[in-house]
Amino acid sequence: VRVLVVVPAFNEARNLPGVAEDLRASGTAADVCVVDDGSTDATAQVAASLGFGVLRLPVNLGIGGAVQAGYLWAERHGYDAAVQFDGDGQHDASYLGALVEPLRRGEADVVIGSRFLGDGGFRSTALRRAGIRYLSWFLRLRCGARVTDPTSGFRAAGRRAIALFARAYPSDYPEPEAIAVGARVGLRVAEVPVQMRERTHGASSITALRMLYYFLKVSTALLLLPLPGQRRGSMRA
Amino acid sequence: MFHPEILPIEVQLPSLAIQLLFLGWVLRLVRRQSLPLRDSLLWIASTVGALLVTAFPRLLVAGANLVGVRVPSNAVFGLGLLYVALNVLSVTIAASSNAARVRRLSQECALLRAEIEALRAGRQGGPTAAGQP
Repeated sequence: VRVLVVVPAFNEARNLPGVAEDLRASGTAADVCVVDDGSTDATAQVAASLGFGVLRLPVNLGIGGAVQAGYLWAERHGYDAAVQFDGDGQHDASYLGALVEPLRRGEADVVIGSRFLGDGGFRSTALRRAGIRYLSWFLRLRCGARVTDPTSGFRAAGRRAIALFARAYPSDYPEPEAIAVGARVGLRVAEVPVQMRERTHGASSITALRMLYYFLKVSTALLLLPLPGQRRGSMRA
Repeated sequence: MFHPEILPIEVQLPSLAIQLLFLGWVLRLVRRQSLPLRDSLLWIASTVGALLVTAFPRLLVAGANLVGVRVPSNAVFGLGLLYVALNVLSVTIAASSNAARVRRLSQECALLRAEIEALRAGRQGGPTAAGQP
């Protein structure tokens, strides 16, 4: 299978060399596409000098719009799988193979890398873990998807999921909602255990005050999921 | 037209004048093509509605009685809020549909830029494998 690794990056010039090193060490044969989400630093130049394909968004769209650009690229260039891989060093490339494996075997359309299935690694604070459990419960309630780590941005999408996400991908903390969008139209969601690291440079994009917004936004989004068949071409979008 | 017991004339006339000025301003914006007619229709329709109620206050009393509002001035406040809420909602809808378009255009722009750079570099379009500069 042809795999595209999509690396959304906003001002990650300092972290990208580490990401490249990580990918190289994993021995993956996948193509890499860095989506420069309107960075003000040298993200695009650094990505190009590392030999990655680069998508330069002219304005900052946020993680949803950036990841969707990667899915569009994957769709147009006929990739069988697209893996979201953060540009901040949190994700571990040695799990790429495990993440794509259920797609390769045709057992799933979306595969989430979960911190909570296996042991060890960085698992975030207790408060966030409680929030994640709540989201996981809510997702199961709304669309039957059983996912232990719905906020994980380390995930792989097969052809059907690539086509869906290229057309409709949520914005603004899109991870849990994207699972719901997929499960709603019958995509099969699977999970594999992964370990994550704490980011090497810079702060997490989710500060204490934004957490309230995160949960209000995602909860409302899950409550108001569009009915299957009534979805417009792109959800706000 | 004039019913001082409902709407004092010294209130009615300035209100009419202000609403007419506002309507004239919106129409002028449309004629100068600063505001597409499509986006101004709601403003024009709702302002004409407000003008009618101000010019013929008995309409307001009749309307208030119809929906069971005892004090017509409360109906005015209610209608005013509705007027603003409707117009703000229509602006919000327009803004988010624009945001969706900007998103898709930016992505298209990024994809095209990548294609151009690939063509310029004289290779087949597409990202290169990890670690192969």
